[in-house]
Amino acid sequence: MKIELENLTKRILGTGNFISVDRNKCNRCGRCLIICIMNLWRKKDDTIYIVDDYQSKCLECASCYQVCEAGAINFQYPVGGTGVVYEKG
Amino acid sequence: MNTYDIIIVGAGPGGSIAAKNAAEMGLKTVFFERGRKPGEKNSSGCGLGPRMWKDFEIMKELTPEKCPSMRAGAASRNYFVNKEDIVAGYIMARPTESVSYEPAKSWITMNVYRSEFDPWLAEFATDAGAELKTSTLIVDLIKENGKVCGVIDEKGEKYEASIVIGADGVISTVAMKSGLRTKWAQNQVTLVPQYDFQAPPEKIDDIMGDEALGVWWGATFPASYQVFFRDGFHQGLGNWMSWWDKNPLFYLNKVVNLKYYQRLLKILEAKPRELQAHLLPWLDYPYNTYTDGVILIGDAGGFPCPLEAEGIYPAMITGKISAQIAAEAIASGDVSKAVLHKFDEEWQKTSIGEEFEAGYELWNIWKALPFSPKETMSWFVPMIMEVLGGIFDWSQPHALRIRQIASHVKSYMPKATPFIMKYVIPLVAKTFEDDLDKLMDPKKIMTILPKLLELLPQKKRKRGGKEK
Repeated sequence: MKIELENLTKRILGTGNFISVDRNKCNRCGRCLIICIMNLWRKKDDTIYIVDDYQSKCLECASCYQVCEAGAINFQYPVGGTGVVYEKG
Repeated sequence: MNTYDIIIVGAGPGGSIAAKNAAEMGLKTVFFERGRKPGEKNSSGCGLGPRMWKDFEIMKELTPEKCPSMRAGAASRNYFVNKEDIVAGYIMARPTESVSYEPAKSWITMNVYRSEFDPWLAEFATDAGAELKTSTLIVDLIKENGKVCGVIDEKGEKYEASIVIGADGVISTVAMKSGLRTKWAQNQVTLVPQYDFQAPPEKIDDIMGDEALGVWWGATFPASYQVFFRDGFHQGLGNWMSWWDKNPLFYLNKVVNLKYYQRLLKILEAKPRELQAHLLPWLDYPYNTYTDGVILIGDAGGFPCPLEAEGIYPAMITGKISAQIAAEAIASGDVSKAVLHKFDEEWQKTSIGEEFEAGYELWNIWKALPFSPKETMSWFVPMIMEVLGGIFDWSQPHALRIRQIASHVKSYMPKATPFIMKYVIPLVAKTFEDDLDKLMDPKKIMTILPKLLELLPQKKRKRGGKEK
């Protein structure tokens, strides 16, 4: 059984940017690539980045921020009243 | 500037109870929620324990009209899944004879969706006079001479108060901006992905009866919980941040794709409805929970139960205590760390404090068992099933089967014995303190145990067929 993840979580637009990476601090350990449930992190050449449209896919769990021991990932919850809405949480 | 006596950041169960109690004591109270309404940012933490009905009078007012998803049940089912991803067996259990009070005798958990429960609880606070500000994210604290005296929202609006309560969950702005801590260590937080499945209420009732909870103990995935609501259920699992070697959904999907589980989905007519994920603090003991003008409660303070991470009840208990301590401190005109120390003294006297007395041992055994599927559950499941599965087995004469089972269980002892010594005995010893310390001395047990195992007879004397 393959569960389609698209459209399984409701979101309210207007979050603004709430995740960013400090490339100087990133040690490319790759933990964020593994931990992200929505698979939103990428590694290209020697750079780790989050996909452009993460705002419409992110679950706001903050795992990437929590797992980053280099302190390279900045995370602040989206603007009040926007982002993920759990109706059956 | 907006001035209050007390500011509570977060309108989950902890924040709402703190706000309710503060307002009832006459404090000018405000509490903040980043969602459009309380609960819409929360997933899981969906099981309400019977202790809540004992300790919070308001729980008796929770009805299906207020909270349509609520579903209580007396039974829980433990599924044991082996290395081959086969459900090797299960145990269903109900409240036992030693359970001492109602409603604990009637049900083990009351399950609710947080999108219904949290707003219901917050209303008690607003009814008591607390001001609720929704769609408002608190991003910083105001400090004067290094001491916290208010909060700042994302629009730059400032709110001032004598005391700030951090009820803002696992990534707590109040905790970090006040300097109480930086982010948690990797082994202090778990990541919990979870599906919500919808299913017709009558199907759930017909098929699950009064089962409210399932736990799927796996040899290839961390233990996965299943929580039943009126018209759906959650299936989720978690582990510490450092554990994951693959996308966490890989492991959750393993559960969902068990043949047994697929059959269950089919007969329940269940369909995936929502995907959720959250971090959950899982500590052996809460620390740094207060400083000048600040108290941390619930998840922000690291209060979820060290065994199975029940979070709502500890949040409500610490919320209630924080309001009491804050009110006393404000009345005395001294909100310093030295006075707020009383917060720790007070929660340590409650059942939360008692839980954390064995916190390290509980935390440790959870880490070693359900959170270590490959290391521990891979032998634990077949060992348990060797015993349970042997109950009805006519493949050989029964006495022979018993000897075969005993002999096979014995083969697990090289793995089971160190586990028992390292994790089970410390917990038992801690629980019973001195009484069992002497009895359960590992050295004594190690001298006795092999001898006992040797005593198991290998052969049985023949009885019938007397010579004529």
